[in-house]
Parts: sequence; structure tokens; C-alpha cells
Amino acid sequence: MKKLIIVICLFTSPAAFAANSIKATVNGMVCAFCAKGIEKKLKSLTEGKAVFVDLKSRVVVLELKEGVTAPLEAFSAAITDAGYSINKVEAVPQSIADIKADIKGKKHD
Amino acid sequence: MFKQRIVALLFVLVSMQAHAAALMGFEDSYMFKTEASKYSQELMFNYAFSVRHALGVEVMRMSPKGKGETIMTGLNYTGLLKRWNLPHAQANFWFTTSIGEANGEHDGFSYSPGIQLDYETTRVYFLAKARLLRAPGMNNDTAAIQGGFAFYEAGFDETQPWFVIEAKTTRNFNPSMQVTPALRLINKNFFLELGVTNPFDRDERAAKLNLMFTY
Repeated sequence: MKKLIIVICLFTSPAAFAANSIKATVNGMVCAFCAKGIEKKLKSLTEGKAVFVDLKSRVVVLELKEGVTAPLEAFSAAITDAGYSINKVEAVPQSIADIKADIKGKKHD
Repeated sequence: MFKQRIVALLFVLVSMQAHAAALMGFEDSYMFKTEASKYSQELMFNYAFSVRHALGVEVMRMSPKGKGETIMTGLNYTGLLKRWNLPHAQANFWFTTSIGEANGEHDGFSYSPGIQLDYETTRVYFLAKARLLRAPGMNNDTAAIQGGFAFYEAGFDETQPWFVIEAKTTRNFNPSMQVTPALRLINKNFFLELGVTNPFDRDERAAKLNLMFTY
């Protein structure tokens, strides 16, 4: 089922091929320990440049190196292998700095 | 001078970079955990060789009032039997056991299987656990409940203070009931907890210090 969702995301979103980042909302990620395990797994992905985790919004972002195809399946597997489940995953054109600014903006709204 | 060193050490520890209820870290991580009070001290070190299993060593020193001490040393296994990942919470069911040797008031083969159920959000936390603590002539089975809340929501890189309270009962042990309110500070992979056991009982009142570090 998860694989199907990933494949649908991949083929229905044109941004997936020009993505700067992969962004997911993660269930069960409520503590720094959880985030640390996810961060470690994601840092091992060679396509990644930087990782960002926000506990409050449950958002995990992997910013990609230039020119790489978004490894949605490997990204999702890294999070589920760390013991957590994904609510939503998408390839997005924003960088980590943009997403951080979005989250910060929402907090101040 | 000694006080200054302690304060400096605590400051360094807190400013270093914890799952409040976790019995092991994430995959391929090491966890170091201590619990120290007047009546018992525990030191555990384990390695999580997978996301659900960890192996390590554990030393427990039991020193009840009016009795001699017993030190239990053993190999420890921790298993995450079930995890529930909820949108804004996480719940876990754990199994843990140590097998080893007891020395002191009680001598011989010792074993201590236990279970733990916990539920946690970014702001509240609840835990119930039960554990057998057995050696020849010794039965110090324990059961405990813990609950707590965070004073505020914190980011991944920030220190989050929690108030936690634990009620623990131990068979054939004096004091048999230990209630410990504590302040817990969590930052990334570290937690420090300072509490007072049985604070309203002049005879049993005792400081408690818990530390946990995962890397």
C-alpha cells in the first residue's frame, strides 16, 4: 500500500523530477530520540545534502544534492526502518531554509 | 570547589545534547543509563543491533533499610515487542530481562524479566512497568507507574524540561513504596533527572539522580 502511494506521488507530481527536497509527515515522531534515529537513517542516503526535523509539525525533510532524482522509495524506507510510519510524503521544490521559514510563518500566524 | 565542579558537570551534561521512556536507542546506537538513589543504584549499557533489539550489561545494587546490600550483575536484553505510531503520539510495549549473578546478602544465579508499556506525546507521558528481581532467597519484584508533562513544546535542538512523578513498589524491601517527583531535562540524545524520593517522610527522604545518554 505504501509503495503504491509512493508510486502515485512520483508519477502524479511533476515537481518530483525537479525537486529540491523530499518532505514527509511522520506518525509517532514525538521525541528527540525518535528524531535522532530518523535523522541518522536519512543522513546515510547518498542523494541527500541536509536533513531537517521539526517535532512539533512532525515534518521531516531531506534536501537533495543538485541534479539527483528524488529517492522517494529509499526515503520512505529509511523512516519506516527507523520504526515510524509515514502519513504523507512528497517531492517539493523548496529547500530546507524555505520549509523552515514556512513552518516559522505558520507558528506566528 | 566540589559544588562548583558538580554544577559545572551538570551544566555540561545538560548543554550536551532522549525518549523519556525508551529502554534502548535507535538502530546501531549505544545507550548508557544510570539510576541512583539511597536505596538502589542501577547502571546499564546496551547496544541496539536493530530497531527492535538491544543487548548489554546491567549492574543493580539493592540496599534496603535495615538489610545488607545485594549486587546483581548480568547480561541484559531489551526488545521492543510492539510500537503504535499515532499522528501525535507513540505507544510502546517492551520486554527486558537480565540474567547473571547476585552477590552480597543474597548469592547465586539472578534473573530479572520485566515488561513496560508507555505512551508519549510531545507534552505528556505515561508509563507502567513490572519486573521480577530474583536471586536465591531474594524476591524484590517491582511495579511502577510514571506520569509527566513538559512545561512547553521544544524544538529538536532545544532543552525541554518535564515534571515527572513515579510511584514504585518493591516486595520485601524497605521502603516498599517509593514516590519520587522529579524534574527531567531532555535534549536530543540526553536526559538528566533530579528527584526526591518520599519527600514528605523525614526518615525515608532521599535524593535521586537519573541520567541517560544515547549516541
